Amino acid sequence: MMELLAQTGLNAVYAASYISLVAVGLVLIFGVMGVVNFAHGELFMAGAYAVVALYADMHLPFFVAVPIGMLFVGMLGLLMEWGLFRPLKDNPLGGLVASIGFLMILQSLAVMGFGVRMEHIPPVTQEVWRITDKVGVPVARLYVIVAAVVLLSALWYFLKRTRFGWALRASAQDPEAAALQGISITQTARIAMFIGAALAGVAGALTAPLVSVNPHMGHSVIVTAFIVIIVGGVGSLEGAIVASVVYAFVHTFVTTFSDGVLADIVGLSLMLVVLIVKPTGLFGSADRA
Amino acid sequence: MLLEMRKIAVNYGKINAIRDISIAVPEGKIVTIIGGNGAGKTTTLRAMSGMVPIVAGEILFEGKRIDHLPAHKVVAHGIAHVPEGRRIFKDMTVEENLRTGAFLRRDKPEIERDLQQVYDRFPRLRERRVQRAQTMSGGEQQMLAIGRALMSKPRLLLMDEPSMGLAPVIVEEIARIIEEINAQGLSVVLVEQNAELALELAHHAYVLETGDTAMEGPAHELRGNEHVRAAYLGL
Repeated sequence: MMELLAQTGLNAVYAASYISLVAVGLVLIFGVMGVVNFAHGELFMAGAYAVVALYADMHLPFFVAVPIGMLFVGMLGLLMEWGLFRPLKDNPLGGLVASIGFLMILQSLAVMGFGVRMEHIPPVTQEVWRITDKVGVPVARLYVIVAAVVLLSALWYFLKRTRFGWALRASAQDPEAAALQGISITQTARIAMFIGAALAGVAGALTAPLVSVNPHMGHSVIVTAFIVIIVGGVGSLEGAIVASVVYAFVHTFVTTFSDGVLADIVGLSLMLVVLIVKPTGLFGSADRA
Repeated sequence: MLLEMRKIAVNYGKINAIRDISIAVPEGKIVTIIGGNGAGKTTTLRAMSGMVPIVAGEILFEGKRIDHLPAHKVVAHGIAHVPEGRRIFKDMTVEENLRTGAFLRRDKPEIERDLQQVYDRFPRLRERRVQRAQTMSGGEQQMLAIGRALMSKPRLLLMDEPSMGLAPVIVEEIARIIEEINAQGLSVVLVEQNAELALELAHHAYVLETGDTAMEGPAHELRGNEHVRAAYLGL
């Protein structure tokens, strides 16, 4: 029993890792640009398909395919900023509606390029990092955990310790006051969009060999990410990470000891309870919402 | 002249917010803009820092036209704007706020020196340097907003209603700080509802009424003017 608990805990850490990468990117984009990016799940999907194309089809090494996929999706983010969110920034719902359109374009492109069937991706490694005889983490999952810890720590350092990080936070809190300090809001929007998209892309790229890759895989990811950022408090990066961990543990344990459908119900109930008890989310403050 | 506004007009939609306003700010002086609600004081100041586009006229700073520049480029020329309502970054610490004020500067040693100068000028900010800005009192937030503006090393400081919502004893303190900053060579444009305070601090004053310049002159002369005394000083 102890072993099952420990193993389930490790599985939850893996789930928390990729969920937090996606959710943090979503929060960053919302914070700096004020746009709810509905296409965020499809950015995750695009990262996974980059690995399909580069690693499975073109046989490039996995660790070459992943960073290329991350950059590629970051560029998609820049394209969205330039083509959709900047021209529509005076329209409160414009960005949201445009991102839904972009979501459909990305899905259709994936269908046209790769077909609707599930992609088969050869495993990167079959090795398992054993802690005891019965408890261990597949190394492919370990990559995701390490990437999440490294990238989110780097993001934290960037936001708290560098002048462009301060500029990003300042733009998120008060764009007009930020401009008065010499900060170009267009530039901070571009940076936020690149980072946010790249984080979703790298999550998709790293998990591609571990999940079923198909053009509609972004859907469940975005639903999870929305639950997480609402529980964490919309606009709070710390909240998104903490809520990712909480959600991943609850979801993984319920899935293991009961079933996946019940886990989804429990996850949504968790969100409802948080919204009733603390409507601004765990880390949200009223003036941010 | 350090700054010259010539026949400026600003529209909000189809509404004329200000029209035909000309203001000159001599080097090293405090110039105040007073007037009632909706007279166009804040709009005039926002036009100076590029926050609102002008539809007529021109603005020159040190002889160069700056009226076509967006706000984040105007700062680079040496104009810092302390906006109405302070607008500090509430979720950032006091020190992060101040360092953000130096966003465009690359001269690291001087930034550190200026930071210490701001802390010397406002010792309460030093005590609270790692505290979130939101947790401070109104007066402290105003000091932070001024300190943040000073961190850009400006030659002209634009201040919008620095006394708003503050207790009289804090207003006195802010007034002393404005005089001190000016005595050290920084030119100031001061927009104030509190005309008494503004006319006491300033060298030169403009009175705006419904988007037009109603009067201008040396501050001490306007203080003696019948109309100003009746309409703005309540005497």
